[in-house]
Amino acid sequence: MASRFAPRLLLQRLSTLRRARRTSSILVASEAPADVGGGGLFSPPGPWSVLGPRCVSRVSFSTRPSALDERQNPAAVDYRSLMSEEEFHTLADETIHDLLEKFEEYGDAIQVDGYEVDYGNHVLTLKLGSLGTYVINKQTPNRQIWLSSPVSGPARFDWDSTAKTWVYRRTKAALLQLLEGEVGQLCGEPISLR
Amino acid sequence: MLRAAGRRILGLGSGHRAPAAAVASRGYHERVVDHYDNPRNVGSFDKNDPTVGTGLVGAPACGDVMKLQIKVDDATGKIVDACFKTFGCGSAIASSSVATEWVKGKHMEEVSSIKNTEIAKHLSLPPVKLHCSMLAEDAIKAAVKDYESKKAKLAAANAETAQTEKVASA
Repeated sequence: MASRFAPRLLLQRLSTLRRARRTSSILVASEAPADVGGGGLFSPPGPWSVLGPRCVSRVSFSTRPSALDERQNPAAVDYRSLMSEEEFHTLADETIHDLLEKFEEYGDAIQVDGYEVDYGNHVLTLKLGSLGTYVINKQTPNRQIWLSSPVSGPARFDWDSTAKTWVYRRTKAALLQLLEGEVGQLCGEPISLR
Repeated sequence: MLRAAGRRILGLGSGHRAPAAAVASRGYHERVVDHYDNPRNVGSFDKNDPTVGTGLVGAPACGDVMKLQIKVDDATGKIVDACFKTFGCGSAIASSSVATEWVKGKHMEEVSSIKNTEIAKHLSLPPVKLHCSMLAEDAIKAAVKDYESKKAKLAAANAETAQTEKVASA
């Protein structure tokens, strides 16, 4: 009996989340090490240890970012205020299109079995045959570019407006440098993406 | 019963019944299908229970929300039970399901070393789904941190009470 209602409850909770979200900050989904908790949407009570920002211990639908949040969650980011969607699309599309071009040129210059560059629905796929596949796509709600690498796994890059690069906050890696390093090493030929 | 309701919630599309062998490059791996057909540890603990740590990660806007809960034996620091609820794709569900299986019986420090790469390898996740395994790893870490912070808060509160009592009786 309980199990029949449980999924419904989760769905209700999530739709309340969606409604609450419109009036408050988006749940943080970046990898900033300083981020803790869920910004203004979830108000985590009590002391928080520093961890990946998508962790909250309680779903409370308050929409006021409390003083508590500020102290324990200094870098809670409301992505909508950080960058407009339009600006994000322009930036991200530029980066991804640039990568697309450079990967295509690179493919012409080198000999890797099964090398294939694909771009569809704003998702850039770089196949390196048996060496693995890279997938690069936009994650608009978080204003991030997501990367899946056969070498370093998944990563999420935020735009750093000072450095003018996409940075993975957990490792401080920059997107273009990371790709240059990995792809260059995998294929045996240096590649310049900057 | 749970499965029918779960199918709507758990977000699996029409491809979920495709036998892994037939749809080699685009189907879900059989382990992923297995976790979907035979859900393990789906459920909820009382989040106010001091022995329970809750990790809630993801965001509906991104299409993935995972709630992973652990029940810890205070004395030994071992995780005696775990459960999860996930809103997302089949790979996300399987990743969090695997996470709950792997944390059971382990010590809290041990589980923080569970890597998303191990989960991804176990489920043969395709490149585009590696993010799901990372979310599962984050969920585990979040649950552990939550339990530890609850414990610390409780200890602080107890210390405060003891202090107050000492002053009162002085």
